Amino acid sequence: MSNRPAKIYFDPYLFFSLFALSILGLFFLYSASNGDTSIVLKQSVYIFLGFAIMLAVSQADPDVFRRTSLVFIIFSVLLLGVTFLFGPEINGAQRWVRLGPFSFQSSELLKLALPIFLANFLFDKRLPIQSREIVISLAVIFIAFILVARQPDLGTGLIVALSGLFVLFLSGLSWSFIGGAFIALIICSPLIWNVLLQPFQQQRIATLFNPESDPFGAGWNIIQSKIAIGSGGIFGKGFGEGSQTQLNFLPETKTDFIFSVIGEEFGFFGVVILLSIYFFILMRCLYLALNARDRFCRLVIGGLTLTFAANLIINLSMVVGLLPVVGMPLPFISKGGSSLISLFFAFGIITSMGTHKKFLPQ
Amino acid sequence: MIFEERQVEKNNFSSRAIFLFVLVGACFVAVLFQVFALQVSSYNSYELAALNNKNYAVPIQPLRGEILDRKGFAIVRNEPTFDLITKPDLIERPELFLELIKPVIFLSEIEEAAYLKKFKEKAFVNKELVLKKNLTAEEIARFNVRSFNFKNAFIDKRHRRISEYPQIFSHVLGYTSRSDNQYDLSMDIPRSHWADAELTYANGLIQGKTGLEETYNDHLLGTHGKRIYEINSRGRLVKTLGYHPPENGLDLHTHLDIEAQISAAKGLGNRKGAVVAIDLKSGGINVLYSAPNYSINKLSNGMSVKEFQDLIQDPDKPFFNRALQGRYPPASTIKPAIGMFGLSNNLINWNEEIDDPGFFTLPENGRIYRGWKKGGHKNVNLKKALMVSSNTYFFKLAYQSDIKDLASYFSLFGFGSRVCRDCFDEDPAFVPSPEWKYKNFNIPWFTGDTVNIGVGQGYLVATPIQLANYISILANKGSLPQPTVMKITDKNLEARSKNATLSKEDWAKMHNALTAVIESDFGTARSIRDLKNFQVAGKSGTAELVSLDSKEAYLEVRDTELLRDHSIIIAFGPMPNPQYAVSVVIENGESGGAVAGPVAIEVLNSLLNE
Repeated sequence: MSNRPAKIYFDPYLFFSLFALSILGLFFLYSASNGDTSIVLKQSVYIFLGFAIMLAVSQADPDVFRRTSLVFIIFSVLLLGVTFLFGPEINGAQRWVRLGPFSFQSSELLKLALPIFLANFLFDKRLPIQSREIVISLAVIFIAFILVARQPDLGTGLIVALSGLFVLFLSGLSWSFIGGAFIALIICSPLIWNVLLQPFQQQRIATLFNPESDPFGAGWNIIQSKIAIGSGGIFGKGFGEGSQTQLNFLPETKTDFIFSVIGEEFGFFGVVILLSIYFFILMRCLYLALNARDRFCRLVIGGLTLTFAANLIINLSMVVGLLPVVGMPLPFISKGGSSLISLFFAFGIITSMGTHKKFLPQ
Repeated sequence: MIFEERQVEKNNFSSRAIFLFVLVGACFVAVLFQVFALQVSSYNSYELAALNNKNYAVPIQPLRGEILDRKGFAIVRNEPTFDLITKPDLIERPELFLELIKPVIFLSEIEEAAYLKKFKEKAFVNKELVLKKNLTAEEIARFNVRSFNFKNAFIDKRHRRISEYPQIFSHVLGYTSRSDNQYDLSMDIPRSHWADAELTYANGLIQGKTGLEETYNDHLLGTHGKRIYEINSRGRLVKTLGYHPPENGLDLHTHLDIEAQISAAKGLGNRKGAVVAIDLKSGGINVLYSAPNYSINKLSNGMSVKEFQDLIQDPDKPFFNRALQGRYPPASTIKPAIGMFGLSNNLINWNEEIDDPGFFTLPENGRIYRGWKKGGHKNVNLKKALMVSSNTYFFKLAYQSDIKDLASYFSLFGFGSRVCRDCFDEDPAFVPSPEWKYKNFNIPWFTGDTVNIGVGQGYLVATPIQLANYISILANKGSLPQPTVMKITDKNLEARSKNATLSKEDWAKMHNALTAVIESDFGTARSIRDLKNFQVAGKSGTAELVSLDSKEAYLEVRDTELLRDHSIIIAFGPMPNPQYAVSVVIENGESGGAVAGPVAIEVLNSLLNE
């Protein structure tokens, strides 16, 4: 980067909408934690750190990410291995790795590394992509998925797999292949249900369709979440006034079910505002992807943005009762440092890819 | 290195990216649609569900109405009592707490064990728990001095159901006790919340179990109030959201007369029996007394197991309400009804005389039915037969009667059916019929059975309240508002008995004859004539428990008290315009007039000297 321009790479639309989202998130978290300021303080430190990371990351030239993509994915996989060997077991799953005073969810890195790696692998391949490339890409995706799903963390595993598949799709995977895979998936679905899914995961899917069958067990979360959202009405019960939230009927208010808190206290009105911000961010990213300087950047922005969108939609669908309960935080709002930092990291990459323009021909 | 991207690849990317973003947009719409369905379309049901989650309503017990006598004096009232109540969520170690409080409050081992057993669940949900009921004044004083040591306990006022006359009114009032199914499910309070009711009574949610307490439970109970708490998901009470005060129960105004009941009790003393008195104008029951009895105060507020067992096993059966359930042969007291039956059916008239040699011979088989007086009463007409209680006269009259006609005539006086409008568990007693006899004994009805009924012996039995109802109908010359304990203000509710009709002249003569039983020199109950300063009409009876042919044989039986005759009197006064009627039955009391008579007079005296 000898001729690095003396400018700051920065996208005001993304920056301020993320800022608005994060600040709103702090308010929601305050209410969701029954007014626990220490949690909010900790979260705001992460947010501050996140913005710093995002700004720093977005200064790097996209080429840096491309050239380091192999190192990055190897590092991520190694981290997963470390987690598997040394990570503490929490609730029957090993997901965390400790780095000094911080603990980090190691799968978060893979969500970034995998799409960048695949984008680098695929961006210079001419259309249509050849079977060899498809097979290699799918193999990498499958390995990444298995590593995370074995933790076990099926939700993140699926997101990781999706992050890779998005890139593969965007890079021009043929429709006939997609169609074939889809049919194969449907045929294999009984196998997946019986072999791949743990009993508790089967239970979660079963309770989605009939939460009342087990109102105090697995169905409790879905029922209470729907009650919280539904009782919010159009304008909500007011900040800190949600009985489902404040009296702890709603589970996991600070993490997975924080959207229910928003629905209860701010109503349909609040939900529409929140979703508008998310939608605006997604649209801005789409714009950046379409106008990025090259195919690699496009693929990375598209992959990361769609991963973010999938993450968001899975969480929303889960808490409103459209999908089974999977552990998935609401991006930028749920409590949790690793998810926040990796999100800002991702948006740093997106900003970098979206704002760096082509070098002038030498 | 920059790869020279061809336009076709750029277009391919754009269309695919837009395709995926449209999918994302569709998911947004789906989520938004679902949120709309929850928050707008189904808002009402989810709002209710959220309220049901957090709102915890508990009932508040109302204060039960008092039961008052006819002058307005309380027979049963609510007496404040003081309980020591604890807040388990503020007590860390219940065993230690009990050690600390024991020097202040006396606790039995049973109380301690019961407290510790309930402690755990209550501590978790910060509800109150009673440690000790009915503190003594000394305990209250000791606690108040040390109350600063016990932030987790306080004294609260509760009530007990107390009567100043726990024994003599026990049968008519009945008792209350905690009921496990005292729920008012119309109240929109879930069943499980009733265990957390705010109590007004030390004994919890009490309910009338017998007597007036049971019959008028709804009237006395009142309406439960409601306190709505906000609870969290663990069931801890957070704060009060709403309060609807209870409506206290209504007082029950009765016709009972404390003074008259006391005189009935005094008159009976420690003998077994029953006294019933009725106000002729209203049909109001002024006295409803049965002996022996028990203490409703103890039964309502906690009686030891031993005391209760002793009462249950007492051979004198103190729980047995003789006034409503005791079946006694009416004996000679039935004679006025037999006489009326004869008059109504033109079998006899007032003037016709028969010869009473002291016995009646059944024409069919020559069997002898004896009178009480050896040698008989010579020539007797109806008036003399009633006055001297000639058995022969009524044997002969009964002999001429058809049992079915006689039985249906008895029913006009309430025999064989429940006569009281609001008495608890009244026994209808019994009027026999040939069918009944054949069914139960497999032998046909004999004429001799009818003859026995002529003097109130044999299969006919009646309760003291039926006897009182019967004599009241006689006193009122045929009709009577249905006897009732509660004062009825709504005249439409008054039901009058079926009329036992006689001509005006016959009624006058009947009253005249019944007055002569007591007031004439030859009446069988003349011994009580001087106990009062007004005239009284009536009829005494001596119910034989064993059928004997001679007085000598009876004197042998007499040694066993339980085989002695029952003494009965039915009376009304003051004549000639009677106001009250009374029936008295004294078990094994022997001669009706001499033993039961004075009790009846005392009750009439008491009722008239108001």
